[in-house]
Amino acid sequence: MGVIRTVGYFLLVGLVSAGCNATRVIKPLEKGEKQVSASVGGPGIIFGGAPIPLPLSSVNYAHGIDTGMTLVAGGHFTSALFGVAQMDVGLGISAFKSETEKFGLTVTPGLNLFYDFNENNSRIYPQIEGTCWWQYSEKEHLIYGGAGTWIELVKRKAHDQVQTNEFMPWVSLGHQFNLEKWSYLTELKYIGFQQNTGSVVVNYISPANQGTVGLYLGISRRF
Amino acid sequence: MRTTIFILSALLFSSCLRLDSLLYNPDSSIDGYYFDEFDGLAEIDVDATYKIADTLIHPFTLQSDPQGDNKTIHVVYVGDLENIATDTVFLYCHGNAGHLDFYWPRIKLLANVGEKNRFGVLAMDYRGFGLSEGPPTEEGMYKDVDACMQWLKDRGLTSDRLLIYGYSLGSAPATELTAKPRTLQPSKLMLETPFASDEVMVEDASGLSLPGSFFSDLEINNADEIKKVEEPFFWIHGTDDKFLQMATHGETVFANYNGSYSEAHRIEGGAHSDVPTVMGYPEYIEAVESFIKR
Repeated sequence: MGVIRTVGYFLLVGLVSAGCNATRVIKPLEKGEKQVSASVGGPGIIFGGAPIPLPLSSVNYAHGIDTGMTLVAGGHFTSALFGVAQMDVGLGISAFKSETEKFGLTVTPGLNLFYDFNENNSRIYPQIEGTCWWQYSEKEHLIYGGAGTWIELVKRKAHDQVQTNEFMPWVSLGHQFNLEKWSYLTELKYIGFQQNTGSVVVNYISPANQGTVGLYLGISRRF
Repeated sequence: MRTTIFILSALLFSSCLRLDSLLYNPDSSIDGYYFDEFDGLAEIDVDATYKIADTLIHPFTLQSDPQGDNKTIHVVYVGDLENIATDTVFLYCHGNAGHLDFYWPRIKLLANVGEKNRFGVLAMDYRGFGLSEGPPTEEGMYKDVDACMQWLKDRGLTSDRLLIYGYSLGSAPATELTAKPRTLQPSKLMLETPFASDEVMVEDASGLSLPGSFFSDLEINNADEIKKVEEPFFWIHGTDDKFLQMATHGETVFANYNGSYSEAHRIEGGAHSDVPTVMGYPEYIEAVESFIKR
């Protein structure tokens, strides 16, 4: 098949689905606290000889519903361009916090929901994510790292083929720079490292042809 | 509030992107067809051994779907026009890029099956490709290939002497018109690096089981259509195909065939567009000939 435009097809499909956003909840909000965030970025590809992240974009809203428990929901602009509503909802739970409150672990179960307005198809991908954070300064800047996965519920692929990709896992490493109300996030994510990406046409940045490395930038404001 | 959400949703989803057109990569910038004199990029190179005499190269136009979405499409017949009523003919459905000149070396290979010009070859630029009018569409592509069948039928070709060969995107009209014949029923189906369906393309690209409808309105589904094909089936695919992976596309189509006879040629090291080259042209021609003559 022709190269240029058809690569665009694969890129755009990958753009919507692969590694959609930065970590939603790093450290749970205080009870009653609210936060609005936006993130851009995505899996890295080699384009014109240079590495660039695919420009995914999403927004989310988080609400501290209890001490150590934050409800978060997000929407994805890129999918919407295709007539696909893509949302995610999750609950960030503080699983561990050190006595000094400098270290912690947040566990975030959630759901990723897709609904296609063209033919009314839908998909649900449960996810689980664990994020360790370290508050390394008095201004509450954070370094964090985590791991998570989407879970594939569809057991048979198109044409009744056996589903071989039961998980879409990732590991992440990031930094959150916090001001009084604003936060700025930079995150690296290694997505789908169990999958061989050497046999697909998109030139993903992929160590040893496995998965893809993504870069995300985020901004958020607390209320 | 609900009304506002409805209006915003309607606005957002009323003009959504679809990826259908990205599957077509035509080149309509040419000013004519030059065949052996073409000095642009061709998909493969073949040497002078496979040259076709100029007297046997017949470019022409025909009307596709004259009662409906009529378009003038450009076609080339390679062979003796006077013998169509008695010859066996390949109907060649090319891939999704460029134009006829881009695929001319492939057409020449088929014209060398058996012996030089043992079989006729008819190939066309689908609407939107090369000098053929109109934008490329899925149904338009089927109509254009069927218009070629009509042209052959008008010159005396019968179904039992029609062989259809689909390469890549061309696997769609080849399979569709064998499974659900319109003007003629091809007697044998040959597919090179076929794709299974849009669903499989989306699954391969995303790594998830997302429906094809998330991204396109294409209804091409060779993996299902092949189930209706009774005619003998020849499948050839490169193991290193990164566009349409052999395991997910070709193997699926091959496994779903339930007809009278099939043979598979998995070409080690073959990519999407170089299977005949990697296989070796004599070996490729011999494999096609062997299938036809069995």
